[in-house]
Parts: sequence; structure tokens; C-alpha cells
Amino acid sequence: MVTLIIDGQEIQAEEGQTVLEVARQAGIEIPTLCYHPLLEPFGACRLCVVEVIRRGRSRLETSCTHPAWDRLEVKTRSPAVIEARKVILGLMLSRCPNVPVIQDLAREYGVTEPPFSTDTPDEKCILCGLCVRTCHELVKADVLNFSQAGVERRVGPPFLEKTRQCIGCGACTIMCPTGAIEIVLEKEAVYKEKPLGPTSAIYVPSLQAVPRVPVIDTDACIRFRQNDRTDGEIADACGACQMVCEAGAVDFDQQDEILELDVGAIIVATGFEMWDPAQLSQYSYGESPNIITGMEFERLSNAGGVTGGEILTAEGKKPERVAIIHCVGSRDHNAHPYCSRVCCMYSLKQAHLVRDKTGAEVYNFYMDMRAFGKAYEEFYERVQKEGVTFVRGRGAEVEVLSDGKLRVKGEDTNLGRLVAVDVDMVVLSTAIEAPHDADRVAALFGLSRSEDGFFAEAHPKMRPVETNTDGVFLAGVAQGPRDVPDTVAHAGAAASMVLSMLDKGEVTISPTISYVLTRYCTGCGKCVVVCPYTAISLGEDGKAGVNDALCKGCGSCAAACPSDAIVPLHFTDDQMVGQIMGVLYG
Amino acid sequence: MIEELRAKARELLESETVECVIGYEVGPTGRVRPVFVYEPDDVDRLVFNTRCDHNLVTYLNRRNKPRKRGEEVPTTGILVKPCDARSLQVLLNENQVQRDKVTVIGVACPGMQNADGTPEARCLRCNQRVPLLYDALFGEPPEVSDIADTYADVEEIEALPREDRLAYWLSELDRCIRCYACRQACPGCFCDVCESERDDSLWIGITDAIPEKAFFHITRAFHLAGRCGECNACEMVCPMGIPLSLLNRKIVKEVEQTMGGYHAGLSEEPTPLVTRLTGEEDIDEIH
Amino acid sequence: MDELSSNTIEGFEPKIVAFMCNWCSYAAADSAGVARIPSPPDVLPVRVMCSARVSAELVLKAFMSGADGVIVLGCHIGDCHYDSGNHRTVKRIPLLRKLLIYMGVEPDRLRLKWVSAAESPQFAQVTKKFVEDVRALGPLSAPLRVEEPAGVNRPGVVEGGVP
Repeated sequence: MVTLIIDGQEIQAEEGQTVLEVARQAGIEIPTLCYHPLLEPFGACRLCVVEVIRRGRSRLETSCTHPAWDRLEVKTRSPAVIEARKVILGLMLSRCPNVPVIQDLAREYGVTEPPFSTDTPDEKCILCGLCVRTCHELVKADVLNFSQAGVERRVGPPFLEKTRQCIGCGACTIMCPTGAIEIVLEKEAVYKEKPLGPTSAIYVPSLQAVPRVPVIDTDACIRFRQNDRTDGEIADACGACQMVCEAGAVDFDQQDEILELDVGAIIVATGFEMWDPAQLSQYSYGESPNIITGMEFERLSNAGGVTGGEILTAEGKKPERVAIIHCVGSRDHNAHPYCSRVCCMYSLKQAHLVRDKTGAEVYNFYMDMRAFGKAYEEFYERVQKEGVTFVRGRGAEVEVLSDGKLRVKGEDTNLGRLVAVDVDMVVLSTAIEAPHDADRVAALFGLSRSEDGFFAEAHPKMRPVETNTDGVFLAGVAQGPRDVPDTVAHAGAAASMVLSMLDKGEVTISPTISYVLTRYCTGCGKCVVVCPYTAISLGEDGKAGVNDALCKGCGSCAAACPSDAIVPLHFTDDQMVGQIMGVLYG
Repeated sequence: MIEELRAKARELLESETVECVIGYEVGPTGRVRPVFVYEPDDVDRLVFNTRCDHNLVTYLNRRNKPRKRGEEVPTTGILVKPCDARSLQVLLNENQVQRDKVTVIGVACPGMQNADGTPEARCLRCNQRVPLLYDALFGEPPEVSDIADTYADVEEIEALPREDRLAYWLSELDRCIRCYACRQACPGCFCDVCESERDDSLWIGITDAIPEKAFFHITRAFHLAGRCGECNACEMVCPMGIPLSLLNRKIVKEVEQTMGGYHAGLSEEPTPLVTRLTGEEDIDEIH
Repeated sequence: MDELSSNTIEGFEPKIVAFMCNWCSYAAADSAGVARIPSPPDVLPVRVMCSARVSAELVLKAFMSGADGVIVLGCHIGDCHYDSGNHRTVKRIPLLRKLLIYMGVEPDRLRLKWVSAAESPQFAQVTKKFVEDVRALGPLSAPLRVEEPAGVNRPGVVEGGVP
């Protein structure tokens, strides 16, 4: 521990810190432009200069580089310091007169006009070296550096030419204090000016996430990208998040773990995915940043979202007219023929929110209003009274006009007329669909799938949470589209069935189960494939064996076995032949 | 080609990669017959010519190699033609052969000939001259041009009026003596106890009554549905010259045409008789 | 019951073995009985838990043992009580039928039909039609059943080859 005297105050510090770090920790303000806590200090901008007094002599030193020596006396706002900063800011303002952050800092120190003129007033780079240090120390791509000298000094890649070494991470853009670096996409891409998704590689999925901890997108994270790109040679790039995390909670070495559990029951609650409206070109999804899906609208209107909950177009303004199109991808033989059940109600909610937050005109293009639940119909009436216009006809097409407005076309079947309305924002209420890997999940758990792609329940009316495999249950949208109250009920039913099953301690099985005569079994495996309940497996000895608890007694295995090696109790071959003889001769 | 093949056999035996190489040799009467080569010096007995029409894969199946409990499965090298490789694939799919215990010596096949020098009918229909499965391949595959109409022989029988069809099969079944040579020669028939030879005669007895023989042949053809590699061993070994391929290939035709184009022995997929419907089938549900 | 009395050429009454799955077709047969829907008496029921239990061997054995016609009744595709049992039945029975036809058996002797538990009128209709069709064919003959000439001493051979 060392003691510094900063502006007359005695302040304790750790050995090895810099004066700037000590001052900032103590709450003493010192301006900087080229300093970043995660990078080696550089002392380029000189703004952080302070008066350092030692052995009676005072000098102006950059506090970002000066070590915190014991009994060092520092003055951060002496007249000499203020004068120095004025000069520095004057020079910077002369070089970059149009950079807001420099203008603001200069104004703070009383410099309102650049003392010198420049031939390049659009210059933004102050040669602070943050981008260079970032690219070298954190990203470890070493793309940027200083070149030339004197007035010609500049920053950039070698010979200022595009280089494949640049991994496009954008770290330099983020670090640059003056906005001198831009990311330019090489290909034509539609990008949303206000992104509705995560803005950094480590992010908290949403404020309602459970658990509410950040995750790292390894496709975007510089550390993982550099590691993959260089086959492990650069394995420790960046790591900024780990450096700043006081809890030490960031662990880059986490791997997927495979856990083996022996369980008595399984509840499959694998949920759903949203259908991608880009698959039907008439909705023009992707051609304008103001055509968004219902899910994206939810992010937009969420108070924890990028606009703080305000409904804004991509241009940052409140919309004056919004269209909400129901049944996008549902009830459609070109996409999903089924009804996704939840969208009418959330579309009504979203219409209400738009009216409430922006006062915009709202047009809901719907086919039938499915307001089937408790107080749902009453809510529909309320939204109608709030002045939302309901057009009874599927929104057939969205056209992006040359001025950026969106024209929604449809037929108002109540009026018997084709209608079109030009709006600032279109919300597509897209279909719910089974996840793309549902067939793998089905194969794993022995589930069948209904025609709509969701997992099949054992009986559509009487057994909504069971499957044909004993002990495997379904909960929630995995079995079919449903909203939150219905999901809670469905999942509760599944949990109760599991509890009662486990509580009993016994399982009732069919009496007509099959067993294998291992003497005759050749291990060909046909019975294994045929069994609808995956009740048969080949053992270590290569012979088939039937799991009594899973076997339902259908006898498919017995008929498939070419060696008569499987005996289905009560329907054995002897008994069947006996029956045949009996009916023919008895 | 034969020198390279013999060299390979010698190498496999000398390195003890296999204990035995199953191939073809010329017997004392000048006819080609299977050979089991255990000693490296005997590899010169191995031949390959247009009379090598036996399906050697049958020697790999469980029935022909009964093992005592705990006995290690021996390692074998085996010569396969393309049709034989199909049978081998079926045996692999049905867990009858351990892949790591078999070294598959594939030969490109020029087509087999009958004793009188005429090409075998099945080879005229065949467009697969290189086995799909092999660890080493010998021989240059020939150019295959016009292949004969695949099911013309079956269709000829199908086209007969019912009474003539019946008479035809009755006369063929009449000759059957239930010697079971067809079953023994077939690689796909590996049941320890055949349904037609049960001690309790549950299905049929052991007489040569037509219905009993009909049961045997219909059931055997049925059990080969989706498994028959069309090697024709059954027909070749029948001492009574019964055209068994006409029965088995009828099933092959129906499986191909109604169950999504499936052919046995070309992949690891099991016979469609045991799988669920995929929607690709064109089955004539009798309604 | 007049429409069901036999009026064939030789007064031949066919013996029909009907394999019925417990959950659909057998239940339909039951309901048909309860509802007094007239069904042909010549149909001899053999219950199985699932139509998939009916192997080729059982069908052949039925023919050999005296059945002139065999009908297999199961659940509609997608409705099988055991999920996919009828997928195997729908491949097995038509294939067997094609093979039997190939060997000279009349096509109408083996039939596969789906009858659900709620379809008792259809059960009656299907079985009635089947009996009529088989009746018109007369008794089953070669190759699955043969009459041996009298006087020939063939041990174990009785009509149909059943000892």
C-alpha cells in the first residue's frame, strides 16, 4: 500500500497502479480520450496531464502512465494543468473541428473556437491509438497500426489497404472515442438501424430470462472466433468481459456436459419455433426494416428493450399508421394449414399497445377472431372501442413503396371490396411451428408426430398429456399451439400424472406381453425395429429381450420374427393355431 | 488380376489378419467349387472365372459356423461378387456377421456363365459390376451396356391365366423333395430351427404333400422379402431344377414397385416390411 | 335373414376365418351384434390384439386347415391402438396376397380391410360382401389344399395336409 496526496487529500493506493487509476477510484475527475482500463496506457492524447510534485519540483505528466509512488503529490486542477488542457483541446479542436466529443470537452475548458484552421475539417481521428491497442492486445488480429510520421501520421491497416486479417469484429469501432471508424458491410445487407436483438457477443437474453445471467454467443465473440480462425494459436484474444467481471463469473472453458440420469418418467416440453415469414414473398419480410414479426414487436415494446419500450419505426420516429396482419403462415396451405391459436389475442394486445403508446391508426387484418378464453372476447370489444380498425380479410400482400412506406393490400370481406392502406409499420403475426429438430427428439423418446408436426398425444380428447410410450409425457406447446394459461394447465396435468405414477410405486402392465425364446433368437433385430414402443432391445449376448414394463402386447414382434422366437402371452402361435382349428372344426 | 488376388490372400494369411480365406478353386473334375484356404502356400488354388457363380457369403452365416459359448468368432477373408456383397450387407444389417472379423475381397464381375457357356440370365439383368462393399477390390469392371428387362421372366408368369399359372406351379412343386438345399445355400436363411422343421409340426409336418411344400416355399420367399440379394444360389443348388428365382423375384419386384423402390443389400436400411409407412409406398390396400 | 341364406350352386357354404384386432374390428363386430345388425354367420372370428399379429404363417395355416377365405380386419392407418401395428399389416397382407395370386390362388380369397370400432354397419357390409365373393369361388383348392385320391396310403395326409 502506498499513499498519494492528490489535491491535498491523502489517498491510499495499491502498488503498481497509475495516478489516473488512483484518482478515478477516489472519485477525482480527470478527462481522458485515449485511455481504456482494459488496455495498456499510451499517453497519446495528453488530456490527463496533472502536476506531479516531487522533491519540490513540479512537472506536467500524463496521469495515465505515471506510477503511483509513495508520498507522491499530485495536483489535478492547478492553473498549469488547466492551461495545458486548454491548449491540448484547442489543438484537437483545430484538427477535428466537427467531432462532438471534442467540441464538448473543449467547451468545458472554455475553448469554443478552434485556434487554428484546417484543410481537412472532416477529420475525426485524433491518433489516440485506442484502435491499434485494441486490435493488438485484445483482439490479437494486429490489423491496425500507426504509419508515417509528423503531419503525415495516420492509423490503418498496412498501406491503408483492405486486409483479410481483419476479422470484422468491430471492436475498433466501439473503442474509437470520436467515431472515426465505421463498419462497412461488403455485401448488400438489410440491417436494422435499431437492432432488436443482442448488441454484443456477451448479453443477457432478456430481462425476463430465467436465470437472468449473460450468455456468450460463440459465433460473435472475438475470443472464440480468433481461436477457431487460428486453430487454437490465438486462444486468449480479448476476454474483456472476464477482465471487468468483479465476481469472476466468466468462464470461457465451459464445455457442453453430457449427464446420464436414470429416471422413471420424462416430460417432453421442448416448445416451439416461430415460422419465418421470408418464406412467402408476398409479405416482403426483410425488404424493409419496418416489417417486423409479432415476436420482434414484443422486443420493441419491452421496457427493457432497445427503445426503452417506445414503439418507433426504424427511422426512430413514432409511426402514424400501423397494420397488424393475422394468420401469417397459419391457416395457409402454402405454409401451415393449422391455426396457431395464440396470435389473435396477442395481435389484439399489440394493437392496444400501439394505440396506447403512440396514438397511431391501427389496422388489424384478420380472418376470424379467435377470442376463446376467459375475458378474451371482452378484451376484443375493448380494443374495438379504442378505435382500432378491423378489416375482415387476410392481409394478402405488403408492398414496399419507393418512399419507404408500406402498402398493405387485402380484401375487406364485410364490405366486399379490395382495400389497401399505406402504413409506417407492419406487424406480421407469424405461425408457431414445431422446432426444426423435432424428428430427432421424436426418435429419441419414441414419440409420434401429428400431421401438424407437433408431438402426438395418446388420445386427442381423453389423454392430452400422455404419449403412446408409458412414462413419457408431453407438456405445453410441444404437443400443439396453446397460450400461457392453457400451457400452465397442460403442464400441471403432466406433472400430476408423473407424481401419481411415481407415488404408486407400481406400474400396471398388459398381461399379453411377449417374451423371447433365446434358444431360437438369431439376433436379426427385426423385432426391435417393429416394436412401436421400443420395448425390445438386443442384449450383450446378441439376443433380443423384451422390457416387460414397456411391452403393450400387440404381438407385432411375434409376426415379424422369422424364427418363431417370440412368444406373445395368450396369443402364442400354438394358441392361434388352436383357435383356427377350433373355429373351423369346433 | 488373379495374381494380385492371390498375393492379397497370402498377405492376409501370413499377417494373421484372417484365419481362412474363402474363395473359389477348380476341383478334381474340372468344375469350380468353393475353397477354404488356411495356409498361405495354398493361395495358388484360388481362381476367379465366369463359372464362379456360388454365393460364398452363406459360409459366414451363423448356421454354418456354430460356435460354442464363449468361442471367439474367427476372422475370415471372403471373395464377393457384387450380388454376393448384397447378401453380405443384409447379414451385416441383421447382426449375423461382425464387420471387423471379415475382410471383404471384392471382385469386379464380368458376368457368370452356365455350364454350356451361355450367360446366366440373372447376369444379363445386372448393371452392378463392382461390389458396394469391399476392403480390397480386384479386376477391371466391364462396360455394361444394354441390360435385359429386369422382370420379364416374372411378368411372363404373371401374364398367364390363373389356371395355367396354377398348373405351372403345381408341376414345379410336385418335383420338390424338401431336401432344403435351397435353404442351406441361401445366406439369408440362418434360423437355428426352421419353421418348416419344428418338432411339434405346428405349421406343417414332414411329408411331401403339395400344401406342405407350398407352405415352405411361400413362407421362405416371404421371409426373404426385402432381404433377397438375387444371387440365385437357391435355384442353382436345387437338385430338381425348380425355378425358385421366379418366386423370390416376384417378391423383389413387388417390394421395389410398392415400397418406395427398395432393394435389399444396398444400404443399412432394414427391410421395409418391418418399418413404418413413409408415405412413399404405393400399396394396393385391398378395399 | 333371407338375404344371408345360402343359395349357391352346390349349396356350398364357405368357411371364412376373420382375423380381427381387439380394439377396432373386433369391437365393431361386437357392436354389430349388440345392435342386431345382420352379419353372415359363416364368418369365424379369431381375435388378435393387433392386426400386426397376423403373420403370413397364420394366414397360410388357416387356408390349409380348411378356410376357403381369410379376411384380416384392422384399424385405419393412423388409428392403430398400438400406434403403427397396421403399418406392418398393410405391407404384409397385400404382399402375401400378390404372391398367392402369382401361385394360382384366386385374388378374392384373401382380403384386408380397415374397420373402426364405430363402424359396425361397415363390418356387416364388408363381411357380407366377402362371404358372397368367396362363395362364388367354391372351396379352396391347390396349392394350399388338395384332395388326395381315395386308397392312396399317404401317412399324415388328410384334406389340406393337416395330420
